[in-house]
Amino acid sequence: MKTLGGELIRRMAAGDREAFGRFYDRYAPLVHPLVLRIVRDPTDAADVLQEVFWAAWQAATTYDEDRGTPEAWIIMRARSRAIDRVRANRRRGETFVAPVEDAAGPGEAGGADPATRAADRAVVRAGLERLPDAQREVIELAYYEGLTQTEIAERVKQPLGTVKTRIRLGLERLREVLKQAT
Amino acid sequence: MSHERFDDLAPVYALGALDGDEAVEFERHLAGGCERCQAVLDDAHEAFATLARSGERVAPPPHVREALMERVGAASRQRLPIERRRSWLRWAGATAACVVAASALTAAYVAARYEARLGVMARETARLREGLLAHEHALEQQLAATRAVVDLLRDPATRVVALRGAGPSPQATGRVVWHPSAGGEVFVANLPAPPADRTYELWTIAGGAPKPAGLLALDATGRGTARLEPTGGPVDVFAVTLEPAGGTSAPTGPIVLASAK
Ligand SMILES: [Zn+2]
Repeated sequence: MKTLGGELIRRMAAGDREAFGRFYDRYAPLVHPLVLRIVRDPTDAADVLQEVFWAAWQAATTYDEDRGTPEAWIIMRARSRAIDRVRANRRRGETFVAPVEDAAGPGEAGGADPATRAADRAVVRAGLERLPDAQREVIELAYYEGLTQTEIAERVKQPLGTVKTRIRLGLERLREVLKQAT
Repeated sequence: MSHERFDDLAPVYALGALDGDEAVEFERHLAGGCERCQAVLDDAHEAFATLARSGERVAPPPHVREALMERVGAASRQRLPIERRRSWLRWAGATAACVVAASALTAAYVAARYEARLGVMARETARLREGLLAHEHALEQQLAATRAVVDLLRDPATRVVALRGAGPSPQATGRVVWHPSAGGEVFVANLPAPPADRTYELWTIAGGAPKPAGLLALDATGRGTARLEPTGGPVDVFAVTLEPAGGTSAPTGPIVLASAK
């Protein structure tokens, strides 16, 4: 499967700076709200965003299109860096991490890019809304707050096995949503 | 072990939420090159990305882009021209035709970079796997030694003898757990690594006559463990000396550790 994003990463691997600029313009509006939702603080978010794309430029040669879409590649890298930042802040105890309900969700921040498949997003959102609350809760605690399965089990007061099952079932549901959207 | 267990762990791992022993276990399994799990992870990353995809697009502050382009420009000025030239030379040397279209040059350049990267990754993987195996082996040895000692210590005839550093290595310490008919185990610490052509050798000394009791290998931290076979008689002194590689039948080098008589 050849995609524009994949082609841009291939050109980045060859040291093409113009391709990097286009890659950034294409994916930063997708990655930025995710990073912001995880780290909460706009200055931290800008910082993490820069690290993510800098690392992507350096790691472009390792991207393998057979293993995933460019979107999933950059999202996964962004998410794990953002979580690292949150965990480091938590360890230092410097940053108060607000509960997830209080944080600005990606939907409220404004400045949406109308060019990127609004119709697909509507399908995905509708699909996500069908995810049972219990499954969505454990997945979001891990995905956006960086909690481990043990921490989630404590938070939702359920046995570890139940947390695992909810993650697995939620993942299955997400895969169905993804199939419908593409 | 059945693979079902890893099927349960893979989604949690993909979400970055696996912890404790299970995380270690799963990573070890994955390092073994399980394609089934790798496929599940790739697939899961795609599915979890759906969460981020569903959000609105929000343009980041412009200074991030400016800083990045500057960084990439600075890095390219320092790094890329040299790499390009090298890979061009390699490529040119490998082909008879040196006049080619620019697009072919780019493709060869990219291929060379991919190949180089693949080579590095293969070497890294092999090194990690070797490291893991060596570590596992060392742990197994320690475990066996500890078990043997626990068994020995249940016997009232067993004694524990302290070893003191001597000569070139006064900081070295050690213990021998010794049973006259079952033999024992020796544990040492703080010994410097022997020179390349030397080795540490163990001795049991009875009536003033030293008997070779095996070689003593050290780990990277200067610790070592060895099994001592029973001598068939009493032992007055346990000692460690520095000997030519391979060991000798009678001590020639300095004593580095010895028990008090
Ligand atoms: Zn597996």
